[in-house]
Amino acid sequence: MSTGNPIVTENLTKHFGRGHKRIEAVKALNLVLLPGQVYGFLGPNGAGKTTTIRLLLGLLHPTSGHAYVYGKDVQRHPEVLRRVGAIVEGASFYNFLTARRNLEVFARTANRYDPARIDALLEQVGLAERANQRVKGYSTGMKQRLGLAAALLSDPDLLIFDEPTNGLDPSGMHEIREFIRRLATEQGKTIFLSSHLLSEVEQICDRVAIIQRGAIVREGAVGDLLDAKTTLRVEASPLDAARAALGDRWHVTTNTTWLSVEATRDEIPAIVRRLVQHNVDVYQVTSQRQSLEEYFLSVVEAETPHA
Amino acid sequence: MLNLFRAEWNKIAGHRWLTSCLIWIFPVGAVAFTLVMALILSLSESARLAFRSDTVQWTEQLVGTWGFLNNPLGRLLLIGFTAVMFAGEYQWQTWKSIIPRNRRVPLILNKFVTLGVFVVVAFALMSVLLTLGMGLLRAIADAPYPPELSASVIRTTVSDYTRSAVLGFISTLIAAGYAALAAMLTRSILGGVLVAYAVTFAENLSAVGLILIAYFLDLPGILQLYRFTPGYNLLNLDAWIRTGAGNPIVLDYGANRVELADSFGFSAVVIAAWVIGLIGLTTALFRRQDITS
Ligand SMILES: Nc1ncnc2c1ncn2[C@@H]1O[C@H](COP(=O)(O)OP(=O)(O)OP(=O)(O)O)[C@@H](O)[C@H]1O
Ligand SMILES: [Mg+2]
Repeated sequence: MSTGNPIVTENLTKHFGRGHKRIEAVKALNLVLLPGQVYGFLGPNGAGKTTTIRLLLGLLHPTSGHAYVYGKDVQRHPEVLRRVGAIVEGASFYNFLTARRNLEVFARTANRYDPARIDALLEQVGLAERANQRVKGYSTGMKQRLGLAAALLSDPDLLIFDEPTNGLDPSGMHEIREFIRRLATEQGKTIFLSSHLLSEVEQICDRVAIIQRGAIVREGAVGDLLDAKTTLRVEASPLDAARAALGDRWHVTTNTTWLSVEATRDEIPAIVRRLVQHNVDVYQVTSQRQSLEEYFLSVVEAETPHA
Repeated sequence: MLNLFRAEWNKIAGHRWLTSCLIWIFPVGAVAFTLVMALILSLSESARLAFRSDTVQWTEQLVGTWGFLNNPLGRLLLIGFTAVMFAGEYQWQTWKSIIPRNRRVPLILNKFVTLGVFVVVAFALMSVLLTLGMGLLRAIADAPYPPELSASVIRTTVSDYTRSAVLGFISTLIAAGYAALAAMLTRSILGGVLVAYAVTFAENLSAVGLILIAYFLDLPGILQLYRFTPGYNLLNLDAWIRTGAGNPIVLDYGANRVELADSFGFSAVVIAAWVIGLIGLTTALFRRQDITS
């Protein structure tokens, strides 16, 4: 099966090494990315994010399974990667060349050299003034911005960014995130972005897959994943009676002065009704939207056997 | 295609330190050598006298320069240059930015082409500069610099020059093939240099090595393997072109004696097999390689 979607993986699997030293970096991964999506690929260190991205870019050969980009198997039709721009594990360049020369080398390699486009991109990422300086003297932030320019060289439809804000200070992170978000909203690019920073995915992405030990453990729209598990903070008195009234239907934990009840927003009226029926005084019920951070930790802990 | 070549050329030529020390050193060295000699000759009467008594022909000077490709130092520099071209992308971690932009086979073949152009440009320049420089030195010493230009001199010189350039180029391509293969497999510049130099060295010693093996295993037939070495076949081809006869060689120990005298066609096929084999193997392995840096 291969559709024309920007990214489709079918049981994509990659092992490193042999025998008992074998590492299963990516295990039977199935992903589908639709056009226009900004897709987050979230996972802790060593989860297999970079390995997946290298497989998508034809840098690694899968042990089994397939990676399709716009419906083409990247192993058999690597030319489809001309529709893709990417930064893998921090941008790297020919440090002995200037920024402009680096972009020229990349563009000529793709047989698409256009000096005007290079100038425009350098302007766009704010490097126009230092374009004739060797990359050796660039800061991490400047290299990352040059990486964005390099990724955009051939005006790709799909952008793949592996931890694009790694090593940047907060303002640098903010700048890059804004830039990526604008690529999606203003230019309609499809974006696949890996990160171990939840706040980043929450800010930029509309869909997310959580990867842990080479396998996807959750996948869905960022909003849905969070809404699926809301916690209600119920302030009522007496607490014991309140707990007794709700405990048979909801999962309730008692805190010092309130209860947390695992339920959705829609269930609030039912909860209040029941408390009133049981002669409990209700002071306040608030729905606490779980942050992606908490969600992520709860998922990762649940999936880790010896945590 | 031209874009791909220019990408590689700009990349490597932009590495000033690398190109000055390993490739432009050949023509620049020719100029430096001429200048130093000119200084010595203009200062010392005895040097001029000694220089005058040497017979030097500009035709030999022009043709002989390509022999420097087979000199151990020249070889080492070119192996270093090849290793940087092929292993550099691993050490600079730039393959990941390059590979998604084109197919792997043209990418790696383009490196061989670019390498070849660098070598030809550098050595053609060096041969011209050395020949002109020698002319200058002969003039300073007031010495003759024959032969006089004539149609037949030009004809033979062109054909000699082509032979020595082509054979020198092929022998460089084979050494570069080892270097490229080793650089790609070890993913390291140093690894490429060490392995390729060791292999070149071993090839030079292979006659002795084969004799020792034949002697200890008492298998004189082993000596026949020498027929397949690049060195023997290049010399054989050179002799065939120059003299119309091969360059037979004799390997012997004790009462065992093997004479190797192969035809032009045989040597041409063996050499082609080495060149195509090394480039083909490098390309095939690169296609399957996982890029993890
Ligand atoms: N070339 C390699 N050889 C052996 N093992 C490897 C190789 N590359 C990756 N691995 C292993 O594969 C697993 C996944 O690594 P990967 O780099 O994909 O993780 P990641 O999610 O990108 O992590 P990080 O957040 O640290 O970048 C790790 O256990 C890693 O040690
Ligand atoms: Mg990574």
